[in-house]
Amino acid sequence: MSCKEELLNRIRQHTLQTFEMPDLQMETLTYEDKTASFREVLGQMGGEAVVLQPTDEVNEVIRRLYPEAERIASNLPGITCATFNPDEVADPRELDGTDLAVVEGAFGVVENGAVWLPATVKYKALYFIPTALVILLHRQEIVSTMYEAYRRLGQERPDYSYGVFMSGPSKTADIEQALVFGAHGPMRVSVLLTE
Amino acid sequence: MSTKHAEAATRFIADRAEEKWHDETLWMVRQKRDKMSHSLPEWERLRQLASAIKLYSNSHLADLLEEFERHAVANGAIVHWAKDAAEHNAIVEQILQQHHAKVMIKSKSMLTEECGMNPYLMEKGYDIIESDLGERILQWMHTHPSHIVMPAIHIKRQAVGRMMERVLGTEPGNSDPTYLTHAVRKDMRRKFLTADVAMTGVNFAVASTGEIVVCTNEGNADMGTSFPKVHIATMGMEKIVPNLESLGIFTRLLARSGTGQPSTAYTAHYRKPMNGQEFHIIIVDNGRSEILGNPEHFRTLNCIRCGQCMNTCPVYRRSGGYSYTYFIPGPIGINLGMLRNPRAYSDNVSACTLCLSCSHVCPAKVDLGEQIYRWRQQLDVLGRANSMKKLLSRGMKCLMERPALFNTALKFAPAVNLTPRMLLYNRLNAWGVGREMPRFAKQSFNEMWKTNQIEK
Repeated sequence: MSCKEELLNRIRQHTLQTFEMPDLQMETLTYEDKTASFREVLGQMGGEAVVLQPTDEVNEVIRRLYPEAERIASNLPGITCATFNPDEVADPRELDGTDLAVVEGAFGVVENGAVWLPATVKYKALYFIPTALVILLHRQEIVSTMYEAYRRLGQERPDYSYGVFMSGPSKTADIEQALVFGAHGPMRVSVLLTE
Repeated sequence: MSTKHAEAATRFIADRAEEKWHDETLWMVRQKRDKMSHSLPEWERLRQLASAIKLYSNSHLADLLEEFERHAVANGAIVHWAKDAAEHNAIVEQILQQHHAKVMIKSKSMLTEECGMNPYLMEKGYDIIESDLGERILQWMHTHPSHIVMPAIHIKRQAVGRMMERVLGTEPGNSDPTYLTHAVRKDMRRKFLTADVAMTGVNFAVASTGEIVVCTNEGNADMGTSFPKVHIATMGMEKIVPNLESLGIFTRLLARSGTGQPSTAYTAHYRKPMNGQEFHIIIVDNGRSEILGNPEHFRTLNCIRCGQCMNTCPVYRRSGGYSYTYFIPGPIGINLGMLRNPRAYSDNVSACTLCLSCSHVCPAKVDLGEQIYRWRQQLDVLGRANSMKKLLSRGMKCLMERPALFNTALKFAPAVNLTPRMLLYNRLNAWGVGREMPRFAKQSFNEMWKTNQIEK
């Protein structure tokens, strides 16, 4: 008998009472002004959300937020401030030393300031290796809670290889519970909310 | 007479300032958790659902694991099954050998700690690098976690600074957490880029899609898996959730309960290997199937390892993680230790005031305190009951069964109040150590009742 069957048999033998799957329908927290609340919560998570005005040009906003960034990665067509296309490097290690990456998010979540990033870049390293990350997100694509977020993923069944809910910059409090941003991933995360 | 926990706790509290800091810091995390739970009207409903989903999935575990495997394999993952720690470690070693790997970078996993994987592999010459900051600090200090979520909570910044001067050449005397964290960031960056194999733990495994979910604040798990050609994810088999919808219940509870944040900075979903990476998933039993068959303790399998039971525990806060003899401390550790080996780990069951605070904060409603109480009832059977307490209980039983004797004893009890301290507070009276004995009232309730001194 293989290890797998042995293991499954043992589980079946030892299972006592069986329990039913509960109904997951529930009333959840909702936010009236999702954009405003998203900005507030993301701020608490150490990130920032910038609402783009109709007159704003996205590249100018990025340059204004990150005037010192030199090596800027993006595979998005409209991002002309990018200095290279990260999908064209031969090895993800070459992304080390990227000052700023500009990527697209699928939808945002108010309750934890998260953005769902189903890898739309060749190397997922791009989400973690740059010093700063700019995420473009449609303002209409914000849900209130992770409950809604997962219902959406469960129903739409998107085909992603890798995806991450990212709530602000990388952080740690492992030394005496003192909060420090930029443990290993981006030190700064800006979400640009577009029309 | 004292348990090993009590002895170690005595050493911990010898440094009053540090004990106070530990106590207050963990209580602060508990308060942050309360703020989070109060901000969600549906909090109790979430706990109830989390518990119900776990009871469902753990009682349909074999089916769900098979469903998970089927989807994971279809996604391109390689699934391994390990019945115990030895098999787990052998599987990891074999993967390392196949790839002629020497260096493995890993994120935090209580399971690899449980399996003793690092020492096993390092003895064989492999370089295993912990990438979580707290775990890295412990690795450099050659010690182990004292808390499952805040592993280095017992170490002060000055000690970290001094250690980093030695291992990283940081500025002498600089113990600023930002400075030290960024020094590790710089050093770890090289390691992320050059490791041969990446390993992560698993917070949740979704049966309906075959994906695994890893939650971190640092992003170390995701950095780690971004470069090597191999990713090994290792999971205890109770990490299964049925589908994405139920996952939503747990991700809303995990970080709120654990550290008082709305969520971790990263909730990463690994579904299919990218760019030709090899993706291994190891499903580990190591005693879990035994727990399933234990009617009084199977609910420990509900645990999602948030660590809040430690933060809220008055004994843990004031005695520190190293006072417990099992590698997982606090209420959940007391129970898991007893399930692992009751004779070896019974010293911990006394490290509980039965206040049940742990049971009340547990996001998956593990009846932690109640289970500890049940273990205590087993101590005598296990031959681990305290002989002095047994003797006293027998004496009390004798007294209680004889009302005349009891009343006479009570009459003379106030005499104890006049007894010189040195007769009361000595090694023969365990209850006099570290606490003041109560004073006996001049009259017993019985006497007062009989002489009509009580208002009816």
